[in-house]
Amino acid sequence: MDPELCNACGECAAVCPVVAPDEFQMGLSSRRAIYIPFPQAVPCSYILNMDDCLGINPIACGKCAEVCEKKAIDYDDRGERVIREVGAIIVATGLDVYDPTEMDEYGYTRFDNVITSMEFERLICAGGPTDGHFLRPSDKERPKRIGFIQCVGSRNPKIGRPYCSNICCMNTVKDTLLLADHYPDTQNSVFYQDIRAFGKSFEDMFQRSKEAGTRYIRGLPGDIEEDPVTRNLIVTVENTTSGKLERHELEMVVLSVGVQPSADRDKLASMLTLSKTSDGFFMESHPKLKPVDAPTRGVYFAGFCESPKDIKDSVCQAGAAASRAGALLNAGKITIEAITSVIDDELCSKCGLCAKVCPYGAITWQKGEVAAVVEAACAGCGACGATCTFGAITMRHFTDDQLLAQVRAVLEDRPEEKVFGFACNWCSYAGGDMAGISRIQYPSTNRVIRTMCSARVSEQMVLEAFRCGAPVVLVSGCHYADCHYIDANRQTVKRVQNLWNKLEKAGVRPERLQLEWISAAEGQKFAKVMRQMEELRKTVTADEIAHAREALKPKPKKKPKAAETDKAAPTPS
Amino acid sequence: MATATIEDFKCMMCGHEYEDKVVKGEDVERSCPKCRSNSIRHLKKKKVEKAN
Repeated sequence: MDPELCNACGECAAVCPVVAPDEFQMGLSSRRAIYIPFPQAVPCSYILNMDDCLGINPIACGKCAEVCEKKAIDYDDRGERVIREVGAIIVATGLDVYDPTEMDEYGYTRFDNVITSMEFERLICAGGPTDGHFLRPSDKERPKRIGFIQCVGSRNPKIGRPYCSNICCMNTVKDTLLLADHYPDTQNSVFYQDIRAFGKSFEDMFQRSKEAGTRYIRGLPGDIEEDPVTRNLIVTVENTTSGKLERHELEMVVLSVGVQPSADRDKLASMLTLSKTSDGFFMESHPKLKPVDAPTRGVYFAGFCESPKDIKDSVCQAGAAASRAGALLNAGKITIEAITSVIDDELCSKCGLCAKVCPYGAITWQKGEVAAVVEAACAGCGACGATCTFGAITMRHFTDDQLLAQVRAVLEDRPEEKVFGFACNWCSYAGGDMAGISRIQYPSTNRVIRTMCSARVSEQMVLEAFRCGAPVVLVSGCHYADCHYIDANRQTVKRVQNLWNKLEKAGVRPERLQLEWISAAEGQKFAKVMRQMEELRKTVTADEIAHAREALKPKPKKKPKAAETDKAAPTPS
Repeated sequence: MATATIEDFKCMMCGHEYEDKVVKGEDVERSCPKCRSNSIRHLKKKKVEKAN
């Protein structure tokens, strides 16, 4: 359809023989294959759904094109890939509504008069399939006893949705007020576990709903049955306030369904190297200091893609995201991280491991080719440098040589008396600072080396510490949710697991290597860990330290076999 | 439905050994149920079950 030519006269839809469920009306009414997606659509022009159309190649119907005076219908029109060069991207992919089909106890698929809150919206809407007359689906009569069940698909770990959807409580409160306004004789009951009315004027709205006669019953129903004659619904619930089992006969039940991240988020996450929380929402760069920034620079979040939020919060976040993007674009230049990795082409073995561990996708690599760093995308975590065993990657300002020199210097004098550790710049090291400024007492034997991320700590650095006589070694970093470099600290876990295996194989007690996640606010934890490490240090004997020094010595490189040496050597003339 | 395994873990701080569910592809921070240390060593797999 050409939206410039279409004048929305509707002649095409009038002759279209196809009838399909109307998605906008939640399937409660039908549409044609050619239709206006929703009444407020801009531009107001018809669209042709090719999945529903009887066929255009060869043309099996063609009636719509025949009646279109403006000749706005072009069957040869195809989707096209549009390429735009942009300086910033705002991700606002919205949400999907939870499908309650799997929660069979509520009978959504079995009983006509059990509907979702989205379907309720369409039924009560003046532009909906019933022109705003609230009728129950089974007999098209107006229900007078309506029940709302909260937290359907929210705060339910059993179905993998432990999070609060944020909007459902107030949506139900609004719905009860709407019903009370439209039909004062309806009796509304809300079954809930908590009403979360924490926004501006929300508590007032909740109180008005109660004053309007809505009954709020604390307890989620365990079962719904249908009376086969009246089609009424019998809801069984344990009222946790009274402690009694109650049965309510209702004419209609509305499931207040939760929301979830949009289904196509994985593709976008892959394209923009975004990380997700365990709930599937996109992870912001920092929950307090950069709440609209993605870890990938130049990408910002607005709305539900980042976390469940209502319209007001979404608008606020969208404004903030637009401002952040505007500030970036108007500056005309960007400051890139000084601590970035550099790859030595000569030393690169072309294995591609560095590209796999980079949380930012800042390393480009193809099989058989030398890896390369996109410096503008590199954030400087150092995970690549610690992973490369060929010494091909140098982290500017945190080179292997610099860090190993620090290890040796710290353990040069009386290493057996020291608790040696690595701490990440953003959390663990700051946790140590917090312990200090809070005057929390802990043993003075600890010596901590700062790295930007715990993922920068390579196996060689830990082994070197043991070779230098460290009785114990601590590797510490950010908690999983706080990792400053998206998820680089997952590499730390893998490396420490490998090191435990290696130490055990070498006859070194693996417990001498410890791993801890300490946030910048956890001064108490930092001190506790240091006390535990000190206790651990005291259990390490001089013999153990001496054994580790010997057992972990780097093995000399194998000499080439004699035959190969002979073959390679030039023949004396 | 994701496949989960019950696997063995050992706390390297207090020595406590315990079993825990591991869902394929999960991304969870582990800590010792006894002493809360994060030094959790992942030992061998044990048995397979279905997770919700």
